[in-house]
Amino acid sequence: MSSQPTGGSRVSLKDVKKAFGSNVVLQGIDLEIPAGQFVSIVGKSGCGKSTLLRLMIGLDTVTSGVLDAPALKEQAARIVFQEPRLLPWASVKDNVAVGLGEGQSGQAADQQAAAILEEVGLKGREGLWPSQLSGGMRQRVALARALVSQPTLLALDEPLGALDALTRIDMQALLEGVWQDLGFTALMVTHDVGEAVALGDRVILIDHGQVVLDLAVDLPRPRKRGTPEFAALEGQILDKLFGDDPRAREAH
Amino acid sequence: MAVTASEGPFSRALPWLVPLALIILWQVSSSLGWLPPNILPAPTAVLEAAWTKLQDGSLIDNLGVSFARAMSGLIIGGAIGFSLGLLNGLSKTGEMLLDPTLQMIRNIPHLALIPLVIIWFGIGESARLFLVALGVFFPIYLNTLHGVRNVDPQLIEMGRIYGMNNRTLFLKVILPGALPSIFVGLRFALGVMWLTLIVAETIAANSGIGHMAMAAREFMQTDIVVLSIVIYAILGKLADSATRALERKFLAWNPAYAKV
Repeated sequence: MSSQPTGGSRVSLKDVKKAFGSNVVLQGIDLEIPAGQFVSIVGKSGCGKSTLLRLMIGLDTVTSGVLDAPALKEQAARIVFQEPRLLPWASVKDNVAVGLGEGQSGQAADQQAAAILEEVGLKGREGLWPSQLSGGMRQRVALARALVSQPTLLALDEPLGALDALTRIDMQALLEGVWQDLGFTALMVTHDVGEAVALGDRVILIDHGQVVLDLAVDLPRPRKRGTPEFAALEGQILDKLFGDDPRAREAH
Repeated sequence: MAVTASEGPFSRALPWLVPLALIILWQVSSSLGWLPPNILPAPTAVLEAAWTKLQDGSLIDNLGVSFARAMSGLIIGGAIGFSLGLLNGLSKTGEMLLDPTLQMIRNIPHLALIPLVIIWFGIGESARLFLVALGVFFPIYLNTLHGVRNVDPQLIEMGRIYGMNNRTLFLKVILPGALPSIFVGLRFALGVMWLTLIVAETIAANSGIGHMAMAAREFMQTDIVVLSIVIYAILGKLADSATRALERKFLAWNPAYAKV
C-alpha cells in the first residue's frame, strides 16, 4: 500500500502588495507558478519571503493585487513549519490524523494515514509519542500530517532549518522523493542557497519586498552539489544576494 | 530527574528503611520505659487501640465520615475552581472581571474564616464542607488557569490551520496541554483538603477522625490520639499515590512522568 499521486495546482500573483499598517512588506509581486513545480524562495531575514509564503497558502490576505490559487478554494493547501508543532500527548498516528480534519475517521482514514506514514518512512512507529522521536523523525510526522489530506499545494517554511547538517541532507532527499511521488506544487522558504538549488525547479530571490531574481534550475535529479553547474547557479544567487561584498559571501 | 539508583530489591526497600528504624526505636524506648505511655504510647499499644476501635466499628464509621467529607469538599471546591480556571484561562474578559477579586481573597488564610463560618453555618456539616471546598478551590483554580494560559500558542495556531473548531481545539490541544499543571493543583489541593478537615473536625464535630482524637484527649487516651494521627498520615499518602497513578496514566506522553 502506498500513496497515490495527488497532482499539483497552480498559483498566480499579479501586482501583489502586502502592507501591515504603513509598513510595506511586499510590492509589485508578479509570479506564475505552474502546477507541480518545486519553487525555492530565498532571501535575507525580514525580506518578506515568509510573508509571501503565508499569502500564497491563505494564512494572510493581500493588501492589493490579485492572488489566484485554486488550492485555496478547495482547501487543498497545507503548511509545514520549521518546528514540527506536534501534539506531545498524541501518538504519531493521531498526530497525522489531525491533518485529516474534522469528522474524518474510520477505515478509509486509517488507510490514508498508514499510506502516508509509509511514504515518509515512518512505518512501524505509529504508536510512538513525539518525545520518543528524533528531530528529523518529528519533522517527518509533520510532513505526513500536512500530506495526509492529499493537498495540491504544500508550503514549507524553513522546514529543515532546525535540523543538524546530516539529518538535513537525509530529509532533502526524502522531501524530493515524496514530491516526485505525489506531484503537489511545493513552495519552500529557506535561508540555505545550496538547499534551494538542490530542490527547486526554480529559485526566487526576494529582497526588500520584491522579486529580484527568478532563476530556472535545469539540472537532472537527484542533484550533486559538487558539480560546476550547481556551483555556478549558487554563485549567481549569492552574487545577487550580497552584491560585490566578498567578505559577506565568504561568511555564507 | 535521573537519579542513580541500583535496581533490585535493595533499592525498593530503601524508602522504607528510615520509617522502619524509627518505629523500632520508638518501640524499644517504650518497652524499656524511657517513653512514658501518657506522653507517647508504644506502637503495639497504638495497634491494640486500632484493633479495639475496629472491633466496635467506630473506626470504620469515623473513617467513612471523614473520607466522605473530604471527597465532597474536594469535588465541590475542585469543580468550581476548575470551571473558573478554564473560564478565566479562555476568556480575557472573564479573567479581567474575576481574577483580581479571587487573587485578593486567596491571600486570606481560609482557616481564618472559621469564626465567621461557625456563625453562618453553626457547627453542622455545611460548615466543614464549606471550609474544605474553599481550601481546595484556590490551588485548583490557580493551576488550571496557569495551565490553560501556558499552552503553546504555536500548537493552537496549528490546530486552527488544520481547521479544528473550538470544541476540538479545547479537547485535543488546550485541555491536554493544561493537564500537567492541573495535576500539580490537584496534589496541592489534597494536602489542603486533609489539613482543613483535621482542623474543622477537631474544632466542631461529633464524628470523624478529628472528633475521635479530640474525644480521646479528654480521657487522656494517648493511644487513640496517636492512632488518629497515623490514620491521617496514611490517608494523605494514599491520596498522593492515587494522584501519582493518575499522572502516570494521563501524562505518559511526558518523559517527566513516564516512569517514576
